[in-house]
Amino acid sequence: MSIEGVLREGFVTTSLDAVINWTRTGSLWPVTFGLACCAVEMMHAGMSRYDLDRFGVIFRASPRQSDLMIVAGTLCNKMAPALRRVYDQMPEPRWVISMGSCANGGGYYHYSYSVVRGCDRIVPVDVYVPGCPPTAEALLYGIFQLQNKIKRTNTIAR
Amino acid sequence: MSAKLERLSQTLRDVLGDALLNLVTDRGEVTIEVAAADYLRVAQTLRDTPELGFEQLIDVSGVDYSAWANGEWAGKRFAAATHLLSVRHNWRLRLRAFAEDDEFPVLDSLVGVWPSANWYERETFDLYGILFSGHPDLRRILTDYGFVGHPFRKDFPVSGHVEMRYDPETGRVVYQPVTIEPRENTPRIVREEHYGDVGHG
Repeated sequence: MSIEGVLREGFVTTSLDAVINWTRTGSLWPVTFGLACCAVEMMHAGMSRYDLDRFGVIFRASPRQSDLMIVAGTLCNKMAPALRRVYDQMPEPRWVISMGSCANGGGYYHYSYSVVRGCDRIVPVDVYVPGCPPTAEALLYGIFQLQNKIKRTNTIAR
Repeated sequence: MSAKLERLSQTLRDVLGDALLNLVTDRGEVTIEVAAADYLRVAQTLRDTPELGFEQLIDVSGVDYSAWANGEWAGKRFAAATHLLSVRHNWRLRLRAFAEDDEFPVLDSLVGVWPSANWYERETFDLYGILFSGHPDLRRILTDYGFVGHPFRKDFPVSGHVEMRYDPETGRVVYQPVTIEPRENTPRIVREEHYGDVGHG
């Protein structure tokens, strides 16, 4: 199909998959789930210098309005049921970014009696951001990686 | 010892008399030890005697002496250390009392004397298992609901007994027995005399 004619009329053609994935990557709304010092770096990423807003990433206070969960910090045994509950309350499609060593695998507290050795024991994780704590740039990069991952998904089965 | 600590020590000796089992002044801090039976009464005295005037309780912490100072500890196992402050006199005091029974350590609660002791005593109970009789609400405060054991006791393994994971079948977070080997990490200490010495490894 030639597009010369329709372009002049103000149309572009694409696949529905690409449109849906483009809309999803452009409005990742994370539920605010700061658990420890990583949360401070997450705040840095949200503030004016790195400005997550320009990527459509807007922090929400409710899991029911969110499609992304950034687990930022040490996940303790006492917090784990609450984390899972918040995740269960998020509408699909939903993604999880595990931020920092503690959320990735327990990190410094791996041998502790009270810490979950990685938040992937509680919720499925899409992107792991390493660091202790990761810089705001690292979190930003993790969000880009998640956007790339979302762009690769095919919503409509062929 | 400064004149002020000397005055504090002398006042403590005069006021407490026989209840004072031990008084140590080290690094500019005064520590007194009392029997568990006198603990509450001494606390009341420390607060209400104008010459002492300890209006504030700063902290209550537990101590497990079972492996203290690289050797066998002959005395009782559990103690509570209470840190007090007198704003009026600008001095501080550490009050220590050993629980009588090592298997079932009980001390009197100081909540009636200083209400700020409430959460500190809950914390001490949670982590060391020292019971404070007369406490209005002696629940665990830090560890998980239904936690078993007292993690700051020296016979408690660092990795604990259970770990947590999500169980897809029941759809909730469950406890399971711990799957990793406990690890003891002994830091290598470089003493001052070995600074710059590559021979220590």
